[in-house]
Amino acid sequence: MADPKTHISPDQKTEVDLQAETVWRVIVLNDPVNLMSYVVLVFKKVFGFDESTARRHMLEVHEQGRSVVWSGSREKAEAYVFTLQQWHLTVVLESDEAH
Amino acid sequence: MKRIEVRLSLTVVAPLLDLVKNMADDLKRGPATTRPPADIDPEFSAAWTSELLGGQHDDVSVLLSLFGEEFFSDGIVSFDEGNAEAITRACSAVRLLLRERYLRNMNDEALESGEVDMVSLDPQVQKAFMCYLFLATIQELIIQHLDESIIGPAESNPDI
Repeated sequence: MADPKTHISPDQKTEVDLQAETVWRVIVLNDPVNLMSYVVLVFKKVFGFDESTARRHMLEVHEQGRSVVWSGSREKAEAYVFTLQQWHLTVVLESDEAH
Repeated sequence: MKRIEVRLSLTVVAPLLDLVKNMADDLKRGPATTRPPADIDPEFSAAWTSELLGGQHDDVSVLLSLFGEEFFSDGIVSFDEGNAEAITRACSAVRLLLRERYLRNMNDEALESGEVDMVSLDPQVQKAFMCYLFLATIQELIIQHLDESIIGPAESNPDI
């Protein structure tokens, strides 16, 4: 509720950015070279997934060509992309604004 | 420390090593497949690629070090928690490059299943495919026996 005694002069105008922070997705793409067991290992290693979660993402990559393995801030997403590239997975970064 | 020793056939594996070494030399010049995100700062992009290349070089050096005196005297190579992770990654890098250089004409299904009529292949492609399968076997061995050594604690906050 507004306080009727409050007076805001024009030079005190405050802009509040209410726009939600962009969500970035780390997406692993299918490749015919890396072994299924290798991809499962990488997911367990990098994201701390349990066996069934890692296998589910691996199968999604294998059968649908891509799997979103993580989403969140740009900075962390970039770090995950880098780590997955160290393991030679094909990975892209997409924002929710792309859809 | 868990350690596995594998006796390889010298007559089968030794002829493949020159190709592995050639691929390793080429991998010094660029990452196997990786690209930084397109929209990052060019300076950061260069650092990104350089760091990936450095790590890849280290991994491939560990892979090549498997094939030293012990291997050429009795065919034995050893894997443990000290080299398993680097070798597994290096095998992936070399396999990706082999595919790009020699196995482009093979369809994805053949590459994934390994079911190929070897006799029908050009000798150079045949050798590359043998090498490709050999490196996959090494990866499978390591993953089967040393996965816990590699996984360790989760990298929940990877730092660049």
